[in-house]
Amino acid sequence: MRTRWLLALVALLLGLGTTTAQEKKLKACFVYVGPIGDVGWTFAHNEARLAAEKAIPGLETRYVESVPEGQAMPVIDRLVSDGCNVIFTTSFGFMDQTLEAAKKYPDVIFAHASGFKRAPNMATYMADFYQVYYLNGLMAGALTKSGKVGYVGAFPIPELKRHISAFALGVRAVNPRATVNVKWINAWFDPAKAREAAEALIAEGNDILAFTEDTATVVQTAARKKIPSFSHYNSMYKYAPDYVVSGQIVHWEKIYIDFLKKVQNGTYTNKNLQDVDYWWLLREGAVELGAQTGMPINPKFVPALKAAKMTVNGKQVSVYDRVMELLKNMSSPKPTFDPFTGPIRDRYGVLRVPAGKTMTVAELNSMQWMAPGVVGQVADEPKQ
Amino acid sequence: MEEIWNALSRALSFGTPLLLASLGAIINERAGVVNLGVEGMMAVGALAAFAVAYGSGAGEGNLYLAVVAAALAGTLLSLLHAFASITLRANQFVSGLALSMIGLGVAGLLGKRFEGFPLFNQAPEWPFTLGAVLLALVLAFGLAYTRLGLVVRSVGENPGAADALGIDVLRVRYLAVAFGGAMAGLAGAFLSLAYRPSWTDGMTVGLGWIAVALVIFVGWSPLRAIGGAVFFGLLYYLQFRLQGQSGIPTEFFAAMPYLLVIVVLALAGLRRVQGAAPEALGRPYQRGER
Repeated sequence: MRTRWLLALVALLLGLGTTTAQEKKLKACFVYVGPIGDVGWTFAHNEARLAAEKAIPGLETRYVESVPEGQAMPVIDRLVSDGCNVIFTTSFGFMDQTLEAAKKYPDVIFAHASGFKRAPNMATYMADFYQVYYLNGLMAGALTKSGKVGYVGAFPIPELKRHISAFALGVRAVNPRATVNVKWINAWFDPAKAREAAEALIAEGNDILAFTEDTATVVQTAARKKIPSFSHYNSMYKYAPDYVVSGQIVHWEKIYIDFLKKVQNGTYTNKNLQDVDYWWLLREGAVELGAQTGMPINPKFVPALKAAKMTVNGKQVSVYDRVMELLKNMSSPKPTFDPFTGPIRDRYGVLRVPAGKTMTVAELNSMQWMAPGVVGQVADEPKQ
Repeated sequence: MEEIWNALSRALSFGTPLLLASLGAIINERAGVVNLGVEGMMAVGALAAFAVAYGSGAGEGNLYLAVVAAALAGTLLSLLHAFASITLRANQFVSGLALSMIGLGVAGLLGKRFEGFPLFNQAPEWPFTLGAVLLALVLAFGLAYTRLGLVVRSVGENPGAADALGIDVLRVRYLAVAFGGAMAGLAGAFLSLAYRPSWTDGMTVGLGWIAVALVIFVGWSPLRAIGGAVFFGLLYYLQFRLQGQSGIPTEFFAAMPYLLVIVVLALAGLRRVQGAAPEALGRPYQRGER
């Protein structure tokens, strides 16, 4: 009796095995560094995973959240044994272990977010905000009365240096004397630190705040003190409808859907990913300007931004018009504007981008210097 | 002047959940039970408060009810620890650690549907702060001068003698642990209703552990807990307020609370302030055993 059941079970399992092989099912699995409820980085990746599941028929997904950096390997082992064909690892700190896993499992396709190491079966991808930060900087420069803009930063790594510098370039394009004052919390996710860093910035006279941290804490703290702020990463308009000016929104699904479709139709295999690097910006729709999807600027701040003037090529234009013009430009198929076009000096006066030159993706990815106007201690910054 | 006021108000704000949770832990440790599950109970309290305050999706609920729910949630979770460590006489440290993990896990799991929602009727911070300080005074007085305080202390110092005097040791310990749970729950409520009005998985970010350390730091004294919580709050705020304002590297400020804990504990050890630990702390009580 018992053996018969067992045989039936084995037959069933075998049957399942053959059907999955026949249908060539796509199983994409995600390794997240944070909890999916962080309202930040991991939340956005997870929303994109759900969007991809909806957009691609036959796609099955799985995820593992809150994986500490340095402990990705056992998680990947498990996912591979669970039959994942495509594995996305979504933290810079997972880079080396993803590469190691790519070598260990040559049949599985890997893609690593925000890194620079690739293999025949491992691609890299990133949705980057530097253009959007510049636009937010323009608005911050127009709205600050004290000339002091506060910034709560996670870690002093190239990504944040690039974003804060782009933001500062925007602020200074409108208000050449304004400063961007940075406080580091040395954490991606720490609402308590974000709160106290924001409080300290406000106490020092900063009258508008921007940040990189995975919760809406800074937005909420600023609103309590009736100070405008810029939301980060996801729609945070609902947390402070009267005080969020604009912000950065990510659309990882643009990348995930494109990538997975290309895996499904055979464009991407485990042999040809050595040079596949997605560096997607406004043009590809991977990022969006706004505090909420579909709202580039909070209508409450539009009159003030229309009234604020700045000089562009010797002509006076309203900040609002400038933001909209550049947003349109950088979202077009062939953008002509880039925030990191020279001449740009760093905050110690060293020429970093010669006139007429634009920074390359590789330069942006390894950027260590800070733009003029940034105030605060910055680790690993070259002095000359 | 404004600067001092600002720093003090930040210290009180950050210190409030620490004070609430450590007052609870002081009482249950005074009764002889260590509970390392504060972080977990805090997480569950934060979720319970947010869930009720959010009115299960409507956006606005009753804040008073939310606070009660948080205390209840913390209490319920603490009873697990009480059952394991008092009735079953399991290792208190292991049981407490497990409680932290269970609390964080349960809160994370059940909280999924509340993620990303703003709280429209957020609570003010001062009632929590004021309540915590007043409670510290009441507890300090109660422990020192009331019969109930004597009962709690005797159960923590010498449960055998207390038992001989007719005190129900297990019942007192159960109640003390439940009180610790309720207070940790309230600390959680402060976080999700007032300090950072929203629910996020992992939003307690180790505050429960600081509260556990604070208990030792202040030598199991509710009165000194006020000072300890404010001191930690001040350090926490100053690491950001002083950042970039002086030549000291930011890493130093980030490490400062830990460095100071080590220094103060070392000094306290030298001066034998540590002697205040309840005699029977961490040891399960069994009648007839010595």
